Amino acid sequence: MVRDITFGQYYPGKSVLHRMDPRMKLAATFGMIIVIFICKSFPALGLMTLFTLVAALLSTVPLKMILKSIKPVLIILIFTAVLNVFYSKGGQTYFSWWKIEVTEKGVNTAVFTVIRIIALVVLSSLLTYTTTPTMLTDALERLLSPLKVFHIKVHTLAMMMTLALRFIPTLIEEIDRIMNAQKARGADLETGGILQRAKALIPIFIPLMVSSFRRAYELALAMTCRCYTGGEGRTRMKQMKLAGRDIACLVICLIVLAGVITLNIFFKKVI
Amino acid sequence: MSNAIEVKNLTYYYSEGTPNQVAAIKNVNLAIEKGTMVGIIGHTGSGKSTLISHFNGLLKPAEGNVFVDGEDIWQSKETLRGSRFKVGLCFQYPEYQLFEETVFADISFGPKNMKLSPEEVRERVLEAAEFTGLRKEMLDKSPFDLSGGEKRRAAIAGVMAMKPQTLVFDEPAAGLDPSGRKELIKLIQNYREKTGCTVVIVSHSMEDIARVAERVIVVNDGEIAADGTVDEVYSHSDELRKMGLNVPEITQIFSKLHDMGYDVPGNVYSVEKGAEIILNLIGRGCR
Ligand SMILES: Nc1ncnc2c1ncn2[C@@H]1O[C@H](COP(=O)(O)OP(=O)(O)OP(=O)(O)O)[C@@H](O)[C@H]1O
Ligand SMILES: [Mg+2]
Repeated sequence: MVRDITFGQYYPGKSVLHRMDPRMKLAATFGMIIVIFICKSFPALGLMTLFTLVAALLSTVPLKMILKSIKPVLIILIFTAVLNVFYSKGGQTYFSWWKIEVTEKGVNTAVFTVIRIIALVVLSSLLTYTTTPTMLTDALERLLSPLKVFHIKVHTLAMMMTLALRFIPTLIEEIDRIMNAQKARGADLETGGILQRAKALIPIFIPLMVSSFRRAYELALAMTCRCYTGGEGRTRMKQMKLAGRDIACLVICLIVLAGVITLNIFFKKVI
Repeated sequence: MSNAIEVKNLTYYYSEGTPNQVAAIKNVNLAIEKGTMVGIIGHTGSGKSTLISHFNGLLKPAEGNVFVDGEDIWQSKETLRGSRFKVGLCFQYPEYQLFEETVFADISFGPKNMKLSPEEVRERVLEAAEFTGLRKEMLDKSPFDLSGGEKRRAAIAGVMAMKPQTLVFDEPAAGLDPSGRKELIKLIQNYREKTGCTVVIVSHSMEDIARVAERVIVVNDGEIAADGTVDEVYSHSDELRKMGLNVPEITQIFSKLHDMGYDVPGNVYSVEKGAEIILNLIGRGCR
């Protein structure tokens, strides 16, 4: 069913991560993703993995959901692993046959890269699991607001993003409804070749377009009626405030950064 | 004879397996005999639409079975597809399903999916258009150029043209003005009289249901709370009110009058009927 496509994949909860200021969360996630790439040695990466694990535990998002977020990048993971194993050469040779050689360096790089990618995916999905899309765009708007000096309409962009996100579930619901109505008239969406299936989408696509345009006009009208004129002078219902936990997060992130740099200096570089 | 639709121990969950899981239908048993006209009422969110979406296999039961014509519809692909043609489902606000260039083409979408010959399709479209009171010249218009009420009729014609044995309407009169409502209900009634098919109508309006249905099923919170003739069900007005349903005002007045000892029946569901009875009564008193 269409409905099963989770979007934004927010996982409701009350954990520390859920309650954190979305601005801090966004900035921290962004920062820590950079830190992942600063890691050059296994102990440094280990520290980063520990950080990711602790964050995952704190989020109270079930392991199953986190694993689900890794699934889409599985192919990329396998691909990078294989490439690295065969292409980076050096150190002790574990296995060799014809032109293929598996060396210590190859295995190390492969493992290193895979862990890196997994940490990256898990961190960024923790952000989306614990923050609603609206909060995320809100935070983005705030963090990008300095760009106003370059006459970039940050508010309009954020509003467009919020609206688009807001209407995705509505659209999915609408698609579901139209699909059911056409199925009830005997539309066959499941069988046939590609061309036939593409054609079968017309009865769904056209009503969807029609109602989307209607909805867009109605929304624009409703917003105008409520005197919406853009970002100027707008206040917010939900004020974002930095709390103790946000400061704690910042401190922890900085400690991890310092730790990663130190461990990079004292241990052998892998990459 | 097998039942037109039979539902056994039906349970359905929305968002199954997520934290938002809700049971929309809870262990429902129901049989609808062939040729009857059944009304389904219930408070908003009680699960009416969910229930009827099982009748032609649009939703798959989490537990339990659905039988159409005595056949379990989930037993194979063929029976499932067959159920789509045996049970015609007309959703709430069906006008949003229109998509073809002309009304004619849109009505013929269903019959075409049944792989009928072009002549047969044509015949059925014209017949359905006549039933729903769509004039001939409208058939060549774009469905998006029709008025709201006409769109509704075109959409209903699209389902009728498939000539299903059972027709299920979800709030067919929603959003229409009172005379439009009446006309539409009349139209469904006429269709049934002509074809003798089984009809299920879901409605918020207890007046509409009283006017047409032979049997009323009350759905409350995913369960069947009452099932019987209009008189039987509507006489429990207190219980109905607890489920968020109000029997028509005219019925309330007449049952009060009846309780006060006046010589009027307690089961009056339409203002016309009520007026007739009162006029009769006054007439008698004068003479
Ligand atoms: N797609 C969905 N996802 C999750 N929950 C749903 C979905 N559709 C309906 N529900 C829930 O299931 C319950 C029954 O809904 P349903 O649409 O069957 O009610 P209804 O009786 O048809 O209401 P109405 O009279 O307003 O049309 C409601 O509580 C509703 O919130
Ligand atoms: Mg409904």
